[in-house]
Amino acid sequence: MEAPQYVAARVQSALAEDDRTHELGVRVDVRGDQLFLRGQVGCEERRELIADVAGEAAPGLVVHNEISVVDVREPGGEERL
Amino acid sequence: MSQLRIAAVGDVHLGEDLRGRYRSRLSGIEEKADVLLLAGDLTRHGTLEEGKVVAEEFRDLPVPVVAVLGNHDHHSDKPAEIAAMLKDEGISVLHDDSVVLDVKGVRLGVVGGKGFGGGFAGKCASEFGEPEIKAFVNHTKRIADRWRVALKELQADRRVVLSHYSPVNDTLAGEPLEIYPFLGSYLLAEAVDSEGADLILHGHAHMGTEKGLTPGGIRVRNVALPVLGRAYGVYCLGEHGEDPDHC
Ligand SMILES: [Fe+2]
Ligand SMILES: [Fe+2]
Repeated sequence: MEAPQYVAARVQSALAEDDRTHELGVRVDVRGDQLFLRGQVGCEERRELIADVAGEAAPGLVVHNEISVVDVREPGGEERL
Repeated sequence: MSQLRIAAVGDVHLGEDLRGRYRSRLSGIEEKADVLLLAGDLTRHGTLEEGKVVAEEFRDLPVPVVAVLGNHDHHSDKPAEIAAMLKDEGISVLHDDSVVLDVKGVRLGVVGGKGFGGGFAGKCASEFGEPEIKAFVNHTKRIADRWRVALKELQADRRVVLSHYSPVNDTLAGEPLEIYPFLGSYLLAEAVDSEGADLILHGHAHMGTEKGLTPGGIRVRNVALPVLGRAYGVYCLGEHGEDPDHC
């Protein structure tokens, strides 16, 4: 069986290099047959594409998409320097 | 001298799927800030289509806009074309040079560019060995040298450096240590410390921390959108006690 570290590395590269994602800031962890994705993206569509690309790079693993959609709040108070 | 309110954000990573969403957060910016600085990674894939979305999202704002590009904006090998699209909409784009804006009678000088990696003092790559490593380190060195010259020649009342990559490791806290050399370089901070500035802004480290300091004591702010969690940060430059009602 392939070591989980190599599977995680392959998924991470796929997320960075696949035209559908180009996401560099996703944390990928493999535990047994479970694949965990963590990080933040701009919208729901991108969140789902990440799970698609990850699933294709690691067929047979159960993908847990724990990526959250970054919530752009109203600008807050300024900082005085 | 009036105080200046600098709004800044990086890593908006816009694309067709986010069109209009960021723009809606910019209404009323003129009440909160005097200028908007964009710290790179404006797109996700660096395509001309995404560049167009960025240009349309940030055009015709009531405050001047100054941008640098990021690594994502270089991915499709079209950085010059994207910069030209932004310039056509009145957005200044820095490429290791400077711009001076007159803001409320204050000359605000902004120096910067994309920056690059290499790591931080004592834990960094050096110009030794294979040509690939030398080219990597040399790219950062040349950028730092250009910033040094631009800062030396800058005639302005307030000096802000705008980068994509980080000049310090303080603002990377939260990122895996192993990737620090790909997130920034101390050579950038060294150049700015040698010539002086009031503030350094950068993006790129999405999982980093907002606030840091150069070895020379210049304030550094990581304004990557996921770090800020709000549409932009606002940093007020001015002497303490001076014009206290303004900021
Ligand atoms: Fe980014
Ligand atoms: Fe970046």
